[in-house]
Amino acid sequence: MMRMPKARLFALAYRQLLRDARAGELRVLFFALVVAVAASTAIGYFGARLNDAMLLRASEFLGADMVLSGSAPASPEQIDDGKQLGLDHAQVVEFSSVIATDQDLQLASVKAASSSYPLRGTLRSAAQPYEAEQPGPGPAPGEAWAEARLFAALDLQIGDSIEVGSKLLRLTRVLTYEPDRVGDFYSLTPRVLMHLDDLAATGVVQPGSRVRYRELWRGETATLTAYQQSIQAGLQAHQRIETANDSNRQIGGALGRAERYLNLASLAAILLAGVAVALSAARFAARRFDASALLRCLGLSRHDTLLLYTLQLAMLGLLASLAGALLGWAAQHGLFFLLRDLLAQEIPPGGVWPAAAGIATGLVALTGFALPPLAALGRVPPLRVLRRDMLPVPPSAWLVYGTAIFALGLIMWRLSLDLKITLALLGGGLLATLLLGGLLLLGLKGMRRLLAGASLSWRLGLGQLLRHPLAAAGQALAFGLILLAMALIALLRGELLDTWQDQLPDDAPNHFVLNVLPAEKDAFAERIAALSSHAAPLYPVVPGRLISINGEPVRQLVSKESQGERAIRRDLSLTWAADLPKDNHLVAGQWWTEQEATDVPGVSVEAELAESLQLKLGDRLSFTIGGLTREASVTSLREVNWDSFQPNFYMIFEPDTLEGMPATYMTSFHLPPGKERELVELARAFPSVTLLQVEALLAQLRSILAQVSLAVEYVLLFVLAAGLAVLFAGLQATLDERIRQGALLRALGAERRLLLRARRAEFGLLGAASGLLAALGCELVSALLYHYAFDLRWQPHPWLLVLPLIGALLVGGAGLIGTRRALNASPLTVLRES
Amino acid sequence: MSGNILDARNLNKVVPSAEGELSILADLSLQLAKGDSLAIVGTSGSGKSTLLGLLAGLDLPSSGEVHLAGHALAALDEDQRARVRAEHVGFVFQSFQLLDSLNALENVMLPLELDGRRDARERATELLGRVGLGERLTHYPRQLSGGEQQRVALARAFAAEPDVLFADEPTGNLDTHTGAHVTELLFELNRERGTTLVLVTHDERLAKRCHRMIRLEGGRQIAAETAE
Repeated sequence: MMRMPKARLFALAYRQLLRDARAGELRVLFFALVVAVAASTAIGYFGARLNDAMLLRASEFLGADMVLSGSAPASPEQIDDGKQLGLDHAQVVEFSSVIATDQDLQLASVKAASSSYPLRGTLRSAAQPYEAEQPGPGPAPGEAWAEARLFAALDLQIGDSIEVGSKLLRLTRVLTYEPDRVGDFYSLTPRVLMHLDDLAATGVVQPGSRVRYRELWRGETATLTAYQQSIQAGLQAHQRIETANDSNRQIGGALGRAERYLNLASLAAILLAGVAVALSAARFAARRFDASALLRCLGLSRHDTLLLYTLQLAMLGLLASLAGALLGWAAQHGLFFLLRDLLAQEIPPGGVWPAAAGIATGLVALTGFALPPLAALGRVPPLRVLRRDMLPVPPSAWLVYGTAIFALGLIMWRLSLDLKITLALLGGGLLATLLLGGLLLLGLKGMRRLLAGASLSWRLGLGQLLRHPLAAAGQALAFGLILLAMALIALLRGELLDTWQDQLPDDAPNHFVLNVLPAEKDAFAERIAALSSHAAPLYPVVPGRLISINGEPVRQLVSKESQGERAIRRDLSLTWAADLPKDNHLVAGQWWTEQEATDVPGVSVEAELAESLQLKLGDRLSFTIGGLTREASVTSLREVNWDSFQPNFYMIFEPDTLEGMPATYMTSFHLPPGKERELVELARAFPSVTLLQVEALLAQLRSILAQVSLAVEYVLLFVLAAGLAVLFAGLQATLDERIRQGALLRALGAERRLLLRARRAEFGLLGAASGLLAALGCELVSALLYHYAFDLRWQPHPWLLVLPLIGALLVGGAGLIGTRRALNASPLTVLRES
Repeated sequence: MSGNILDARNLNKVVPSAEGELSILADLSLQLAKGDSLAIVGTSGSGKSTLLGLLAGLDLPSSGEVHLAGHALAALDEDQRARVRAEHVGFVFQSFQLLDSLNALENVMLPLELDGRRDARERATELLGRVGLGERLTHYPRQLSGGEQQRVALARAFAAEPDVLFADEPTGNLDTHTGAHVTELLFELNRERGTTLVLVTHDERLAKRCHRMIRLEGGRQIAAETAE
């Protein structure tokens, strides 16, 4: 047996690639790979860059990329470390102080900030209360900005002076927006913003006073990570690091779902492309049976024959991947260009990683899906040169499916899909395939009887499907998979958008109200009712701290940095309610109305906190409330929608059980536009009440959701394009056989119309069957995905029943276009083949 | 117009090539009466198959005309030529050209159905019996040997009772013994049904069984013989 030197084999592979390319042999495979890599790269870039953009947005909520906060100043080493790494730095000190004017006093929350604050986002202010706001840098030394409600409460004018401690500051502007003022709804009094240089002169900050120091940092992700690692070990007990990733629950939820969706869409596109690659690689191999038999005959070893084609395919794969990556990169640029008005800010370029990952994905898909058919080439018996009917022994099923599943596993790992999604998808897909494939096979076998009475065009069209039911079922499953992936992505898109829309309807609460005194409660409720048709109920709030669970001190029970740890470190807002609040769902236990009274009061605990504290129904909790200890027994666990902008509580007590405790009331409401005057009057009528505007936060969230929604829609387009490309690739794979058949039928006297009718029947039926499979499969997989991955409620989707029609039209149309060469094949071909 | 079933005059076929136009058939004329048989012989590339394609209406000449069963083929579009083929022509190919997705019976029924015949099944069954495959009606091409496949092809060729049967190297893919058997069948059926036969072959013995023979070289007729 001849062993060829590797270099010569390489050169031969290269020459063959050129020849095959010139002969148009590789078009389909090349195209399938380009589509796979382009889709994967474009979605990768899009996802990564959008994620970066959204992280930037999330950074705004921090005012920085990273914040080191504590109740004492950061050590000089901690600050120097960051500066030496080249990070941008700003400093903020927050404290409560009584603001004095000549006539009046008001408790305010003061923020003293260095000139570089904020590092992300911008401050906005107005020249007069309730006038149009403008972005710009903060107050200069000697100046102060205050919120409009402080102007109202103290009857101040622009130009007046206020006393902060022993320092007199002149009010120059009305503060309307601080990017990092979110999440701290419960401790807020009107804000005064001053320059950090004036802080010492106030004399307010003394050792032991309650002050929050925040060191703000901005820089490259890698540098920030390095900084975080360098200071992590020396962190004091009072110090905490926050990053954009964990800065905000609302954004976190939206981001998380969007990212999972984008990854899922990539997976769908890659799956589709994988099918295309498998189909065209099988064709590539089948068309090389003769050549490979000849090479074996001429003395090339089996090993070298296999290597020759592997090299050829690898070169093709690399070229196609590069082209695909370039195309994908260009496509996402086009996409961002289209979105330029919406995404006003600079979007980070995304680096080379998505392109590299796209190329790797293409090569992995090529290996996983093309290796089995290629392996057959090594086994072509040389005798085939004499007997063309001799086919290579087909590769064993475990090799075919094993490599494909391994490749898929690798790709999923790359997308870092979590195990639940992956299993739900793969498990659901497998289950759907087995179930639906079996049904389809039975159906096809059943149709055989009907065939005898059908017209010639139907018999010709269906003949192919029915003679090889297994192959037809496979084809329908492949097309079904395409439709399923597209339908699923469309379904999830709609569902996500609806969920977000529900989460932030136009009349979502844009104001929070805190500190309503019990004596004012009814009067206040009346005023709110007159002002807004969308107000939440007034909830009593009693600050209390959880101290023990079943007699054990709670500090020993929780791990550091867990949600439970954060919850017990500070006072919780305890409330009581007769009815389960809107947007809360019981996940365990019962609400008061459904159970008998017990010796200790019942408490309903938020489910995630309960999980973090390892609470079970019936556990005894002890709280200190206003110096007294109160016991309660866990009677139910609730899921809470934190994104709802409604007052939400970790702990809800049974009514009348916190009687006599010092309670204030809180609520939220939607203030219709143009009623700002009434809001000022409300603030004047109830001076003790804290009114908190969250309009800016809402607007910011809405803009993020708009970005995500658009992304979701564009990604759907990519998946659609990939699906269509696959459809054509699949048809191309059977084109040779169809051209031969078409030519023969023409030679025997069949008119074009007959061929057209036969094709229509075949592809229409194939498409309808695929659509039906897709509809059933989509319901199955979506039920699993909703339950395990997206926390969405699943309901049947009757509209999926249009899928068979869509399938018939899509596969039928694409089938006719994709095989038009077979319709127009010259009957002379049959003679040439002879 | 003569009473010939097949009448070809001054046929020329020119194809474009890298070096300009290439003539692959030049100035060829021939007439065949009903029941006549003609062998076209020549080496590979001599233009045999091109001529067969033109005579059967599978292709059109660059110049010259073909009348098949009274139809001037050049004046018809491809669908109209297909109809002429369905009504008047049968084919036997070297590589059998059966449809893999149809069984033996259905392959034979195909031209009958294209012709809209209601007795397709009965006739196809009878013909398959005639070629000795009465027991293999529901077998698919893959399940048949080469000789058996070519016999199915013969049955298909005669099924629609064509006026002219075109056979392109009908024994080219078969061993001597099987080839001889298929040849016998071909000529028997031809005699029985009075079909006009046009046979392309390079097998001189097979050619000699036809009434007439023309020899091609480089696209030109270089000899014509008539059997004694």
